[in-house]
Amino acid sequence: MKHTVDIDILPMAAVGLILVLIMMVISPLVVSQNSTPVTLPQTHTSERKVENDINITYTQAGALLVNDEPVRDLDELGAALERELVSDPYLLIVVRADTACLHSGVLDILSAAKAAGALRIACATKRFREG
Amino acid sequence: MRRRPVEPRRNELILTSLVDIALSLVIGFMVAMPLFFETGIFVSAPGVARVGKSEPGSDIKANVFIANSGSILLNESPVSFENLQDLLPKLLDRSVERRVVVATDDSVRYERVMRVLDIAKQSGAADLALLRRRRVR
Repeated sequence: MKHTVDIDILPMAAVGLILVLIMMVISPLVVSQNSTPVTLPQTHTSERKVENDINITYTQAGALLVNDEPVRDLDELGAALERELVSDPYLLIVVRADTACLHSGVLDILSAAKAAGALRIACATKRFREG
Repeated sequence: MRRRPVEPRRNELILTSLVDIALSLVIGFMVAMPLFFETGIFVSAPGVARVGKSEPGSDIKANVFIANSGSILLNESPVSFENLQDLLPKLLDRSVERRVVVATDDSVRYERVMRVLDIAKQSGAADLALLRRRRVR
């Protein structure tokens, strides 16, 4: 008599589908973390972990945004950062500057962050894609 | 001639194609996710310093200067990006603090600076400091 071996793949299918659902739910949250599009520099190294941080976006046009809220100038940026840093000075300040920006502009932002009392500053990058 | 006994028909779902699609989606997401994530490099807040005139001390310094013209100076010696990738690890291996100080001219593009910071990190730098330039002639 010929035996047929039936593998029960239903649990695997269930697990796979649950994983797909979880990723589909999580990915928009990750991608829409910052809605202001900037071309970030690509690097081979990365240190930053995902945490509750303050994002400063510096666009190619020179616009400044703190957590996607536009600010007029560096003074307003400093004031906004001070408000955030009062509760926790160890909050990570992430500078998302466009690759086409001048570095001196980024230095101005870093100086403002330092003056506002920031203790941890990182420059946002994207993982280098080969090819 | 013997007739085969007719097997009772089993009502089973054909899940193979479903599993294939689900697993392909999972793999696709897993490959694509790191590209969506933003990473970052920690830097020390900028200050004004006199690049080229380092403080006397026993530790080996790695001062990188990027000029408007695009030239890079490592401890006042002109180097290319490729040379920097070779020289920085050797320099940092002998350094205790493993600190790289990057100073720039006013009109240097951010991308170029980040490329140098990336090379420094790959070379094993523990601390990256950004400075405004006030170079000693």
